[in-house]
Amino acid sequence: MYYYDAMIEICDISKSYQRHLALNNISAQIPSGEITGLLGPNGAGKTTLIRIINQMIAPNAGHLRYKGELLNQTHLKQMGYLPEERGLYKSMTVGNQLLFLCRLRGMSNGDAFKQIDYWLNKFEVYNWKHQKIESLSKGMAQKVQFIAAIVHDPEFIIMDEPLSGFDPINVDLIMTELKELKSNGKTILLSTHNMQSVQDTCSHILLLNKGEKLADSSFSELQKKYQSKKFIVRYRGTKIAFANALWTDFELMNQEEIEEGLFEAILIQRGERSVDDLIGNIKGHVSIEFVSRKRLNMQEIFLDLVNNENSEA
Amino acid sequence: MKQSWIIAMREFKERVLNRSFIFMLFLGPLMVLTLAYFLVKANDQGKKELNVLIADPGNIMEGVISSKNNGNIHYYFVDSYLEIDEFKLGKDYQRFDALLEVNEKVLNNKKVFVFYRDFLSSDTKNSIKFTTERRIEEVLVNEFTNLTVPKFREIKQPLNMDFRNINDPMGIESKTEGWAGLFFGGIIFLFIITFGMSILRGVSREKSNRIVEVLVSIVKPRQLMIGKMLGIGLSALFQLFVWFGIIGAGLWVFQNYIFTEFFVSDAYINMQLNEGTNILNNQFGAMHQNEMIELIYERLNLAIILPVFLVVFILAYFFYGAFFSLIASASGSESDGQQFSIPIIALLLFSLYAGYFTVLYPQSDFSSVCQFVPFTSPVVLMVKICQGYPPGSGYLLIVSLVTLMISTVFMLYVAGRIFRGGILEFGHSLSLRKLMTWLKSD
Repeated sequence: MYYYDAMIEICDISKSYQRHLALNNISAQIPSGEITGLLGPNGAGKTTLIRIINQMIAPNAGHLRYKGELLNQTHLKQMGYLPEERGLYKSMTVGNQLLFLCRLRGMSNGDAFKQIDYWLNKFEVYNWKHQKIESLSKGMAQKVQFIAAIVHDPEFIIMDEPLSGFDPINVDLIMTELKELKSNGKTILLSTHNMQSVQDTCSHILLLNKGEKLADSSFSELQKKYQSKKFIVRYRGTKIAFANALWTDFELMNQEEIEEGLFEAILIQRGERSVDDLIGNIKGHVSIEFVSRKRLNMQEIFLDLVNNENSEA
Repeated sequence: MKQSWIIAMREFKERVLNRSFIFMLFLGPLMVLTLAYFLVKANDQGKKELNVLIADPGNIMEGVISSKNNGNIHYYFVDSYLEIDEFKLGKDYQRFDALLEVNEKVLNNKKVFVFYRDFLSSDTKNSIKFTTERRIEEVLVNEFTNLTVPKFREIKQPLNMDFRNINDPMGIESKTEGWAGLFFGGIIFLFIITFGMSILRGVSREKSNRIVEVLVSIVKPRQLMIGKMLGIGLSALFQLFVWFGIIGAGLWVFQNYIFTEFFVSDAYINMQLNEGTNILNNQFGAMHQNEMIELIYERLNLAIILPVFLVVFILAYFFYGAFFSLIASASGSESDGQQFSIPIIALLLFSLYAGYFTVLYPQSDFSSVCQFVPFTSPVVLMVKICQGYPPGSGYLLIVSLVTLMISTVFMLYVAGRIFRGGILEFGHSLSLRKLMTWLKSD
């Protein structure tokens, strides 16, 4: 998929560690002003890709572009990064920790103080400002780490498992914040195993497996591309008439009576069958109230893609 | 560089605001001063106020010797014989520490007895002997010659026999100066061990708590390494300057208020002798002065030694610091890092041995080589500069410094490459192959 206003262009990136190929000729784009989900099972190459984008490691081949320019050290100031493995200086106070990171990102003291106060107030944790990190709970430290990733107002934010370690209330808080950041024009690369959060927030998906790119498109396109073989049918009539009408084209998976005389059935297709084929089969045998192909959620698409890839391999 | 400086300032503040650092900032120099005090005292053992009673039945000494100009030795006279038991037990004599018996035969047999209560230091014995001998000499000259005392002394000059090593005909060697050099080298050794381990622990801790992942996403690993080393190095320098300041102030107090007697030797000797040759003057001076005091205040050329020390200290810190950074970044855990630091500590200990060897054998081939080897040169160089370079060989100091500087830059380059590769790897076991991979990687 090609975006004219891509924030990051990944061009033919390969990276290997001794004999292990972590990324194999990956090309993709991270569109501006969107949340891109970076998905993949463990060992897929997500962290390697994130580290290459962050310039923490260099690729063996290929290059990256940041808003059309070859990625270089100066772009790092425009990036925010929340690593999967959280880490803060335990002996520093929250305020000093954030100030230190702001200063490293090139902010002046005055701007840094303003931003720190703004974010601490926004997350209602201003009273932690003078507390040492070591005195905070894990969840509190996670929150500080999240603030540290965005406190310098970056235009591109990389979040590696931002929801891990948070309770449901804070998960909701972070999700809301991610959406708000997006609405403020920020570009976010979200690496997570939480598929529900991907489905809720990501408009673009980059799926990796064993260093290979499996998908690089919007969620709706993925849903279109990877259609479910399952159908939902709501009908009035008898179960026997319905079962007979299916013939060998569809297999009845489950069926329940949701009100008197009204049934809802889940079917799975055998071979290449469409909704029209299904309607054609059952029309006249039962009274059809609703027919739909079941839409795959992100979890199902992910499993489908990865399992297919692994079984082919 | 700005980012390295920000990292350095964080490291610096973290250390200097640490309670144990502040504690050692003052305790360290106070310990050194206390040690110096006791060393001087030990060196000057027995140099207390001394009352000497001269039993001089022939009135030979009366009028020619007085207590006025004899510093801590006070002379009193009795013009009769005094039995030892009487002196030992008599109430009137208990305030005297020694009895100097000068009988009439002294002009012929040159024999004088001194009976003391407590042990006298060699310095005190020399002083009493010198004073008495000089006075008797005056009496002898007046009684048996037509010469004036100055003329007699001019003729009488003792033979100035100077023993010198065939390997050191210029007499440039001095063990005492060498020891002072080893002391400076020891300070470098001490600071490198302390702050090198601090680098090791700091980097290992940042790796283990994963803050390094955030830092390396903002700055280059090399900038992080340099910033870290710079910050820790600045705290080391800060400590060093405070130590030198306190020790310097302490020595000034010693000079002006505590060991004042050691700093009036020239005037003291001149008053004592009135006239005499320089050689005698020098001999007496050497006899009288406290060697520690003389070394610290007079023999060491601190105007040259201290700037060179500072340069060597900084270069040596970065040279060895690069190894500690390299080990910490390349190790999979803090305990691994500590294990791998043992060879570096062994090298540091070897450098101390090389310095010790140079004190004993400054002209040996071993010490000549060690002054150019960057692992040993920081200590050996300090010993050599305190001993003093023979005329025309001062360039050796420059060569040593340049060699150390080039080695330091090279080590920082190597450590930077390995740091970049190793800093983001956790829980692995370190191997030479891994190091080579990191070293070669772009």
